[in-house]
Amino acid sequence: MELLSFSIKAIFVENILLAYFLGMCSYLAVSKKVSTAFGLGLAVIFVLTITTPMNWLIHHFFLRSGALAWTNVPALATLDLSFLNFICFIAVIAALVQIVEMFIDKTSQKLYAALGIFLPLITVNCAILGTSLFMVEREYDLLHATIFGMSSGAGFFLAIISMASIRHKLRYSNIPDGLRGLGITMLTTGLIAMAFMAFSGM
Amino acid sequence: MKFIEDIFNKQRHHFEKGGKLEKLYPLFEAKETFLFTPAQRTASGCHVRDAIDTKRLMSTVIVALIPTLLFGIYNVGYQYFKAAGQDPEFVSCMAVGLRYVVPIVIVSYAVGGVWELLFAVVRKHEINEGFLVTGLLFPLTLPPTIPLWQVAVGISFGVVIGKEVFGGTGMNVFNPALVARAFLFFAYPAQISGDRVWTVVGDNVVDGFSGATPLLVASSHEMTNVVDALHQFGQHAGFADFTMMNMFIGLIPGSIGETSALAGIIGAAILIITGVGSWTIMAAVCIGALTMSLIMNVVAGSEASFLALPPLYHFVAGGFVFGTVYMATDPVSASATPAGKWIYGFFIGVITIIIRTANPAYPEGMMLAILFMNAFAPLIDYIVVRQHMSWRLNRGQA
Repeated sequence: MELLSFSIKAIFVENILLAYFLGMCSYLAVSKKVSTAFGLGLAVIFVLTITTPMNWLIHHFFLRSGALAWTNVPALATLDLSFLNFICFIAVIAALVQIVEMFIDKTSQKLYAALGIFLPLITVNCAILGTSLFMVEREYDLLHATIFGMSSGAGFFLAIISMASIRHKLRYSNIPDGLRGLGITMLTTGLIAMAFMAFSGM
Repeated sequence: MKFIEDIFNKQRHHFEKGGKLEKLYPLFEAKETFLFTPAQRTASGCHVRDAIDTKRLMSTVIVALIPTLLFGIYNVGYQYFKAAGQDPEFVSCMAVGLRYVVPIVIVSYAVGGVWELLFAVVRKHEINEGFLVTGLLFPLTLPPTIPLWQVAVGISFGVVIGKEVFGGTGMNVFNPALVARAFLFFAYPAQISGDRVWTVVGDNVVDGFSGATPLLVASSHEMTNVVDALHQFGQHAGFADFTMMNMFIGLIPGSIGETSALAGIIGAAILIITGVGSWTIMAAVCIGALTMSLIMNVVAGSEASFLALPPLYHFVAGGFVFGTVYMATDPVSASATPAGKWIYGFFIGVITIIIRTANPAYPEGMMLAILFMNAFAPLIDYIVVRQHMSWRLNRGQA
């Protein structure tokens, strides 16, 4: 029950995209078609579910202050390598995204072509790195870190497919010239974020 | 009526192409369609003709809102005298109610109307009757004590950001009246939540008066049983009496139009008989809320918890009926496919109960649940259509 409400919190209340506005670039660029958004959303869930616990392990056993105590080497016991957090996290994410990319290339050429440059760009998607950094800052344990990663991904997924279907509908709207494209997308994002505030306080 | 038409016809040339007031043509056109039947005919192409156009559709909603509006006016006065410990008498109730409700409606129509006209003139589209609905729905969702400038700010946000930036009536994603209401709710929480704002009070108020709504009482009370807490509340002099009957009729504190389930049901009957409102959505919202509140009752644990509130009380409390009948059925922001309507409505009901009972920050969740589902309505439609396509394809191939 506690894990369920933890997960709901990460999906709705603290939605990585609509509450923290992380990962906006791919959100705005890939939400033109529902099928592509669906693919990217799934890729983000997958990458987040794996990278967050992996980064947790690296942080917990190698990088945090006193993490190397298990080596029993006195010189290492007090070492604080947490300044390496960023570079290690990014390396893990980049490696994993490569694997996902090869996998999608092999299984679905259509999705691979549709995602285009945004698939490798997941590497520098702020939502992915942000989730790992939140996980460190909030001192989750391994189980919570995994669930947090998965739920953040699910939050991103929900936000991007809802946006994509709204943009699908907006194609028939007579939007003022100056607002066509990104302008109306930003405004709609704001309104969706307001709707997601329904769950804040839970 | 003929002579009125003549007066306008004499002025017509000013507004048509080349006339002095050519820019204000949308205003002239709006007057024309509001008051008369325009003479335009379709010149080419084949068309399906139906007597029910946007104008008639929207006017029907306004007619359906009249019982709610009238009852809201009466109830504002009723609560005023009740809080003062006096005997509420019909005529003086209406007088007090009119004094507070009419200015709010006027401001909503005037400010919203100016924005509507501005966009119509600049963007050269027609002024649509849809605005008449938004402009009346919005005041009905507000507490009677709301400052008038906030009404103006809210309706401006709703009309401009909620509707006009998307291209006007029929093209918006979110219900403009709800966008306006939610904007006020998050921007100025002090004037739109709590137990002080729902009742207009005079100088002499009974001691220890509380204008809490049923949902507020249910979410924060110190009794051992939540239903008892509601019934006990009305035992104090001057307080609203939360019996089932009172809540159904609507003699309780709350937003102007939301208190009366009865008036809402009359409105629902009008909408359903005329075919304007979707009965599917209304039924689905009720089923969703019923299911979720029964689940909540099971997991409640103690009888004191808000979770233990029986479903029937959820139906008559807060804005449930108002939201179900007038907001959720908005044909523009709701799902359009038949299966989509069931899913859309069901989730509105479920999320409403979740927000009410499980979210301590908000005792009422109707508005936010509808807004939330507005964001997902296009997705539901998309999935339903895709699913349907693949079924049809399979059937064709078999």
